[in-house]
Formats: sequence, C-alpha cells, structure tokens
Amino acid sequence: MLNPYGVQVLQVATIVGGAPLVSGVIAHVEGRLQGRRGPRILQPYYDLAKLFRKENLVTEESSWVFLAAPIVAFACYLIVPLLIPVLTTYGLPLGYMGDILGGGFVLSLAGFSVALAGTESGAPYAQLGSSRAMTFGALIEPTLLFVVFAVALITRTDLPYALAATVRLSASEMVRPAHVLAAVAFFLLVLADTGRIPVETHSGTLEFGMIDEGRTLEHSGPALALLQWGSNMKQLILYTILIDVFVAPWGLAGSGRVLSVVLAVPALLGKAMVVGLVFAVIDNSFSKLRLFKITEFLAASFLLAVLAVLVYYVGGG
Amino acid sequence: MGSVPSTYSGTTDLLTLLVLLTEFAMLRAPLLRSQIRLYAFQSLVVTVLAIVVAASRHVPDLYALAAVTFVLKVVLVPGLVLRLMRKADTDLAGSSVLGVASMILIAILVSVFGFVTITTLHLHSDVLPTPTLAISVAIVLVAFVLIILRQDVVSQAVGFFSLENGVDVASLVVAAGLPLLVDVAFLFDLLVAVVVFGVIMRVHHGRSNTLSTHDMDRLRG
Repeated sequence: MLNPYGVQVLQVATIVGGAPLVSGVIAHVEGRLQGRRGPRILQPYYDLAKLFRKENLVTEESSWVFLAAPIVAFACYLIVPLLIPVLTTYGLPLGYMGDILGGGFVLSLAGFSVALAGTESGAPYAQLGSSRAMTFGALIEPTLLFVVFAVALITRTDLPYALAATVRLSASEMVRPAHVLAAVAFFLLVLADTGRIPVETHSGTLEFGMIDEGRTLEHSGPALALLQWGSNMKQLILYTILIDVFVAPWGLAGSGRVLSVVLAVPALLGKAMVVGLVFAVIDNSFSKLRLFKITEFLAASFLLAVLAVLVYYVGGG
Repeated sequence: MGSVPSTYSGTTDLLTLLVLLTEFAMLRAPLLRSQIRLYAFQSLVVTVLAIVVAASRHVPDLYALAAVTFVLKVVLVPGLVLRLMRKADTDLAGSSVLGVASMILIAILVSVFGFVTITTLHLHSDVLPTPTLAISVAIVLVAFVLIILRQDVVSQAVGFFSLENGVDVASLVVAAGLPLLVDVAFLFDLLVAVVVFGVIMRVHHGRSNTLSTHDMDRLRG
C-alpha cells in the first residue's frame, strides 16, 4: 500500500512529467495529418532543456512582476492536480482542500499573472494578447459557472470526485441529458482554453490572431521555459478533468495498492493522448474563427451549459 | 444525488435536445441554404425519435409515421424550398434585426420561460418524460423567435416548418398512441403550408425582387 500523500505527490509528478509528452504526441500526429513528418515526440522536453540553459532577458521597463509571473503561474499549475482525480477514485488527503470552483480560481490566477506580466513588458503584441485573453476569459467564466452548477445539481456537491463516482456508478448517467450537455459545454471550453483552432492557432507566428500565445512573446530563457511547461500542464490538467470527471473515469486506481496506482499513470496519459488526437483532428478540419466571431462560439457553449441546468430542473434529467 | 432517469427517457430527452439545438443553430445560420439543411437534419432527428418511441413503446404505427416523416420532411420539403431558392437566385444570406449573440441570449431567455412554465404545472407521470415536454415547448418558442427576428421569407417559412417539428415531438412523446390518421393530418397541414409559403416566396420575389420582408411593414394602397 502506498502512503496517500505519496500518491498525491505522484499525481502532481504525473502531470508535470507527462504534460510535455502529451503535447509532443499531439504535435507529432498533427504533423502527420498535415502530410509532414512532424517533430519528434520528445521534442518538447528538448525545447525545455534548451530554454533552461539560456539566459533570461528582461526589458528595461519591466519590474519584478515580469519575472515573478512565470513562477506564480507554474506554482498554480502544481496546485490544481492536488484537487482533481488524476490517478485515484478515492479522495486524497489534500483533495478536499478545494472544489471545482477552487480549482477554477487557481487556474484563473495563473492566467491572470501571465497576462499581467504580458502587459507589464510594454510590448504591443504581448499587451494585445493579454487584453484579449482577459476579454475572452471573462466570457468563458459564465459557461464554467453553469457547468459547475450542473455538476453540483447532479451530485449535490461540487467535488470533482463525486461526479466521477456518479458516472462510474451507472451507464445511464452517460445518456443523462444534463450530464451530456455539461460535458459537451466543458469540451468546448477546453477547446477555447487550450488555444485550439476554432478560437486560436496554437502553433504559429501570426501575431494578429494570437490570444494566449501572444502574452508570452517577451519572455525568454528559463522564464519562457516555465511558461511553456505551464501551458502544457494546463492542457493536461483540463484534459484530465474532461476525462476523469466527465467522460471516461475508468482505469483509475481504486485503492492504494502499488500496482494499480502505477498502472493508472499510463492509463491517464493514454486517455489524454486519445483526447489530444480528437483535438488534433478538430484542429485540422476546421478553420479559425474571426476574432469577433469567438463570442458566438462561446455563446454556443454557454447555451449548452444553461440548458444542462434547465433540463435538470424540469425533471431530474 | 438526484434520481437518474431511465435509459429510455434519457435517450428521448437527448434526441429532443438535439432538435432544440438545431433550432438554435438555425437562429445563427447566416446562409438561407444552411438553414434549410439544418431543417432537414432536424427532421431526421425527429424521424429517429419516432423510431425510438415506436420500438420502446411497441407502437408499430409510428414506424409508418417515421417513414412518411422521412420522405416528406427530410427529402421533399427541403428539396422543394431549395429549388424555389435556386429559381429566386437572390439574397442568399438572410437578414436579422439583431446580432447573433443577442439573438441567442433572447432565445435562451424564451426557452427558460418555457421550461419554468412546464415546471410550474407540476406534471408528474411515469409514462410522460416531463423534460421532453418542456424541451418541445422551448422548441416552439424558439421557432417563434426565429420567425420574429429574421426578416426574410425563407427563414420565416423554415421557422414555421420547424415549429411544426416541435409540435410533432410533443405529440410523439405525450401521446405516442395517437391514431396514425391524426398524425398524417398534421403532415398534410405541413404540405399545405409548404404550398402557401412557396406561393408567398414566388409572388413576393416577383413583385419586389427580393426575399427580404423588410419593406413589408408599411401599409400601401
């Protein structure tokens, strides 16, 4: 039997260590889909190693905020895996420190600090990216709230562990309209929040279309490495919530036995890669929305989340 | 933890929700042609719903209804309207009074009204999935929003047809054992509506050379 605190540390380690791998797989598959050979699967690790060896350049106008932001953001992304079911079905000691909303707040804090650093750099594109990220963040927030409401109504609690348990309990939960709507709304949110194609081209150098990517243009060296690693981790965290809370909470460790916990790690990463493939396919089959059409996309996800709550209210659906 | 609905009512709820979502999609679809395709898709979902209800409630009549619905609403009506539009050859993009996001918000408010209305009626019965009834009321209301806010003949016709879809969904779920004759009478109504709307489209287009109803809000001698 593993110590619960040990499992908790392992959850964080899985996210930290696995995030670049998942990103690497997605980038590789995307290359294949576009008829290229694609980068090596381990390329994100090499990129990070290279950036950590480089020097940290700071513009003359910037203050300590510029340097502190990547560290704050990274710390936030380290906290969230403590709160969500990453490897286990049962709640870990620190898992009840915060509910879904708490996790959402910590993620928002990370986004806020990065945006603050972007504004602080004084560079026009970084400021543009920060301003946009905050604008669309404000539109994403109501949808997230309604998804949380739907989850809270279904489970009578807002702990992510509880919803996962409800889904595992019966298959008819999967066709329950409130659940399906909330899950689809959350899927669209993940699409928007990880900077995927209907909202943003995540890998490109076109500054005018940038939202999340634009914020980090002025950072370099280890700070940039932390930011990139952080955004990989954010992606894996959101995938994990989507998988382990909404869509497929199977393959998690039911007890602290060493074997089941160790097996849960490749299970999670494998499922995350499958989700990543879905996102890569979406990325390559749609065109990017115009900036002012993004509100329509977010309105659609808001609609789904509101309907989830409504349908629940009418008849427990 | 709330009671989990049975698989049957979960499935019907999901299908009805899909109908409601296509209604919302029609509201935002800028091209008239895509609106008509959405209508065809919506009718297809209604057909599937009829088959599901027929299979799980053992009402063989509904298979016939599903077949007629498919032929009429998925193939014939959209085909006719598309042909009319090809002849009109103008105004491919519809016009709306408001922006898309505010239209969606209004439609959300209206469907909330529908949901709340049904909830306050306190209808509880084992054979009647209340959410489905509420959703079909919401479909009808959103169809009204579509008719009111879009200012062109085609959108208004499509809005009317999809309103009929909403009523159809309600009758399928509330009264699955409705005599086939009554259902077919509904469908016949739809055919009449198609003819009427076809005439309106042609006459209006012939007179004003546009499909927009924007200039029709003034009385002229």
